Amino acid sequence: AVVSTQSGHYGRDTNYILSKEMDKQFTIPPLRPMQVSRVTTETGPFGVVDTLRSGFVNTRSEMTARHPLEQSELLYELNEQKIKLGMAKKIGGVALPLTIQTERASAAKIGRLPGIKSSYLHLEVFNGTDEDLTIEDVFEAPQPWEDLPQHPRCNNTA
Amino acid sequence: KGFSFDNCRRNAFMAKQGVKLPSARKTGTTIVGVIFDEGVILGADTRATGGSIVADLNCEKIHYIADNIYCCGAGTAADTEFTTNMVASKMELLKLRTGREGRVISSLRMLKQYLFRYQGHVSAALVLGGVDVNGPALHSVFPHGSSDKVPYVTMGSGSLAAMSVFEDQYKVGLNEEEAKKIVRDAIRAGIINDLGSGSNVDITVIKKGSVKQYRPYEVICQKSERQGDYSFPVGTTVVTSSVEMVPFSALRVTDEEVMEIS
Repeated sequence: AVVSTQSGHYGRDTNYILSKEMDKQFTIPPLRPMQVSRVTTETGPFGVVDTLRSGFVNTRSEMTARHPLEQSELLYELNEQKIKLGMAKKIGGVALPLTIQTERASAAKIGRLPGIKSSYLHLEVFNGTDEDLTIEDVFEAPQPWEDLPQHPRCNNTA
Repeated sequence: KGFSFDNCRRNAFMAKQGVKLPSARKTGTTIVGVIFDEGVILGADTRATGGSIVADLNCEKIHYIADNIYCCGAGTAADTEFTTNMVASKMELLKLRTGREGRVISSLRMLKQYLFRYQGHVSAALVLGGVDVNGPALHSVFPHGSSDKVPYVTMGSGSLAAMSVFEDQYKVGLNEEEAKKIVRDAIRAGIINDLGSGSNVDITVIKKGSVKQYRPYEVICQKSERQGDYSFPVGTTVVTSSVEMVPFSALRVTDEEVMEIS
């Protein structure tokens, strides 16, 4: 009897070349980023502004910049991640940032049942933030009593 | 979370209307650091100013970062205080994580990354010194995030006066007593010649395994004794006429109304 060998999904004939878009995705962003979207107000469910908590909305004042650092601070963590992924691509090839992104995305999905606050322990350990503190833990750090108690039946996106 | 920019628009509006905004309390300082044969000596004055008023006569400008690392701070007092506190906490976390004594370059990098992130708006000019496994180290950190590794350094408004003393007296391989003397001379020059520095000289001597803090090392601005007695004896003022005093118990209640609070 002749046993026929069939090439599997990862055989020699498979095309391993990743597209150029994926390669370009991991370029290190410039140090001075371009002026991006304006500062958005905090909106509650259904996209409506909560006037009781965040005050009246004035579109003109929303458009003007309040402080030169505000833009930078909003995008800081995102930029930091982009820089690290860009460096990872230079060091370990394009597969390294892809692996990091995959693990980060899957860790962000590990959560408890809806209505209960998830701990995101895997994500924190992966990012290294479980053993470090930033200025966000010093200024305006969320206090324990600020976490509103969640009813077990309400759908919570947090 | 982190810095809140909520009041910036309101402040800009008020400034445009002509309201005088309060000025931040600065430390208008003389801070110095010098490396000697066994370690590092950090020195600072103790005056904190708010505009042209002395806000604090005896403030502490040499901040704790780790057991073997200390940091002098010039610039806005709140900025230096919070920055050094935060870096001290981060160093402690790092020490618990690695199980090793902290290094000066770790705290240096944390400070630089933090200050660069805020592009100089956090006005903290620091002199960071300590002794670790790599030996004694002294760095100066500027508000925009740049730093220098130096054998001797002065910062603050009195830095020029203090640097003139260092440039004259510093030599490589100072012993502890010589180093303490030139630090004291440098801070004293800053205290006497600069209006933003004053009161006492504080010194911290960091050697491998030991830290000695002198607070104060020397009092330069001693408050002088009052020369004369300005109190007047009883009977100095002549009594021309007197009014009869009515005791409180003599008053009668004519009309009473109880107010509802709820």
